[in-house]
Amino acid sequence: MDRALLIISTLLASIGGVLGMLSVHRGSRSRWTVVWMVAAFLCQIGFLSVRGEARGACPLRGLGEILAFLAWSLTLFYLVVGPPYRLSLLGVFTAPVVVVFQVAALVPGVLTDHPERASGADPWREIHGAMSVLSYGALALAGVAGVMFLVLDHQLKEHHLKSGLFRNLPPVRELLQSMLRLLWIGCGLLTIGIVAGFMMPRSGANGHLIAAVATWVGYALLLGVKTLRGLTGRRMALAAVGLFLISLTVFAFV
Amino acid sequence: MELVCLGLNHRTAPVEVRERFSVMTPKLGEASREMAALDGVSEAVVISTCNRTEFYLAADLGSATLRLTEEALILEHGLGADASHHFYRKQGGEAARHLCRVVSGLDSMMLGETEIFGQVKQAYQAALDSGTTAGVLNRLFQRAFGIGKKVRTDTRIQEGATSIGSVAVDLAEKIFGHLKDSEVMILGAGEMSRITAQALVSRGAKSIFVTNRSYDRAVDLANEMGGRAVRFDDRQAVLEKVDVVISSTGAPHAIVTKEHVEIARRARKYRPLFFIDIAVPRDIDPAVGEIEEVYLYDIDTLEQLAEEARVRRKRQIEDCELIIESELAKLNLPGT
Repeated sequence: MDRALLIISTLLASIGGVLGMLSVHRGSRSRWTVVWMVAAFLCQIGFLSVRGEARGACPLRGLGEILAFLAWSLTLFYLVVGPPYRLSLLGVFTAPVVVVFQVAALVPGVLTDHPERASGADPWREIHGAMSVLSYGALALAGVAGVMFLVLDHQLKEHHLKSGLFRNLPPVRELLQSMLRLLWIGCGLLTIGIVAGFMMPRSGANGHLIAAVATWVGYALLLGVKTLRGLTGRRMALAAVGLFLISLTVFAFV
Repeated sequence: MELVCLGLNHRTAPVEVRERFSVMTPKLGEASREMAALDGVSEAVVISTCNRTEFYLAADLGSATLRLTEEALILEHGLGADASHHFYRKQGGEAARHLCRVVSGLDSMMLGETEIFGQVKQAYQAALDSGTTAGVLNRLFQRAFGIGKKVRTDTRIQEGATSIGSVAVDLAEKIFGHLKDSEVMILGAGEMSRITAQALVSRGAKSIFVTNRSYDRAVDLANEMGGRAVRFDDRQAVLEKVDVVISSTGAPHAIVTKEHVEIARRARKYRPLFFIDIAVPRDIDPAVGEIEEVYLYDIDTLEQLAEEARVRRKRQIEDCELIIESELAKLNLPGT
C-alpha cells in the first residue's frame, strides 16, 4: 500500500513535470503543473501516514523514508512558495527533483517492506529528524530557484530572449527574493534540528550531526555574507545549488 | 440592406488629410447620427483614431451610398475631387472582413497592437448610445469583437515588444518584476531617453533622476517627468542607488566605464543593474556588461529584438486571416 502510494505520487509528479516542460516548449504557461503536484503531494502524505502508523513514530528510519520525506518537504515548500508568489515554472523545475528523490527511494532494497515499530520514541529524536529533513526541503527548493535564476541570468546576459522558457521564467528579482527567503527558512529549521540533535540521547558515532553542523555553518556563512556585504545573484545561486548538492552527498556517506 | 465601409488610414492618406477627417472621441456619437441621416442610410458607426477614420454604414444601395457619402465628406471638409484616391471602399463581406482585421490589429501601423480594440469598442458604444445601430451593425460589431478576441488568444499576433522603448521596458520588468520599487537614472536629456523613461514611468517606476552636461536641460526634463535633476558630476553617487540607467548623450566616448560600475558595486550590495544604451556612439563601455550583476543592452541589440518581434508578428498574419475567414464563414451576417 505505502509503496503503491509512493509510485503513484512519482507518476503524478512525472506527468506534471513532462506536461509543464511541453507547454514551456510550446511557449505557453504550465497552468496545470500545480494541480499534478497537489495530487502528488496528497499521495506523499498518504505514504508518510501509512509508514508513520506502522512505525508508531515519524517515518524517518532508513534512507528510503528520508528520501520520501525530503520529496514531501520539497513539494510542500513549492506549494507554499510557488503559486502564492506567482513564481511560474517553479513547479516545472521542482517536479524532476521530486521524481529523482522518490525514484531513489523506490529502488529495490532502499525502502524496507516491513517497517519495524519504533520502541520508546524520543521526542528530541523525532524533532531532530523531522526538522532536519524539512529544512532540506526548503534548501532544495532554494537550489531549484537558484537553477532557474542561473538559466534566466545566462539568457539575459547573452541576449537569448526568444525561447518559451525565457518568456515564462519569473523576474530576476523575484527569483532572488524567493531563494533568499527559502535559505532563511531552511537555515532556521536546520538550527532547530541541530539543537534537538544535541538534546537527544546519543550513542556511538555522531557523523551525521557533525555533517549537519557543517552544513549549517555553510548556509549561515552564505546568509551572513549576503546580508552584511552583499552578493551577486549568480554567486548566491551557485552557492545555494552547490551547498545543497555537497551536503546531500556528505549525508549519503555518513 | 447592404453593409459598406468607407475609410482612410495611414496607408492611404497622409497625416494632413487624416487630421481633417478625424473625429474627437466625445463627438463620435454625433458623427454617427450625421451619417445615419444621409439619404438611404439606416445605420452608422464612425471609428476615428490617429491612424484611421472609417464609416461603417448599412444602406439600401451600397455602391450609391458609398459614392454619396464620399462626395458629402469631401465637400464638408473643403477638399478637391482628387482627395477621392485617399479613400478605400468596401462592401458586404469585404467590409465585415476589414472590420475584423482592424479589431484584431492586423490593419494597424504597429501590427497586432491592442489599443485599437478598445477604440473600436468605444466608437461602437457611442453609436449604440446615439441610436444609430440596429440589426446589421449590432451583429457585425459584436461578432467582430468576438473574432478579434479569438485572434489574439489563439495566435501570437500581440506577442513581443516591437519598439525600442517597449523592448527596454519588457526587459526591465523581466529583471525587476513590478517597477514600482525601481529607480531610474537618465543620462542625457535626449528624445530617445525621454521616450524610454516615460515608458518606464508609465509602468510604475518609483523615481527618476535626470543628469545632463547642461544642468538646465536636466531640470527641464526632470520637471516634465516628475523626477529629480542631478548635476552631471554627481552621477556616480546616483549610480550607487538606481536599478536602471538609460543613456543617450551625444558624448563622443564612453561616459560610464567598467571602473565606474566597479566602484558602485559594493555600495549597491551587488544588486542587479540594467543599462539601456541608446546612444551612438555608445555611452556605456561594452566591458561594463562583463560585470556579473549587470545586464547591458545597446541600441542595436534593442532594435534587433524589436525587429525579431515584428517579424514574428508578420508570420502570424496568415493564421489570423484563417481564423477571421473561418469565423466569418460560420456566420450569416446580414448585409454581407
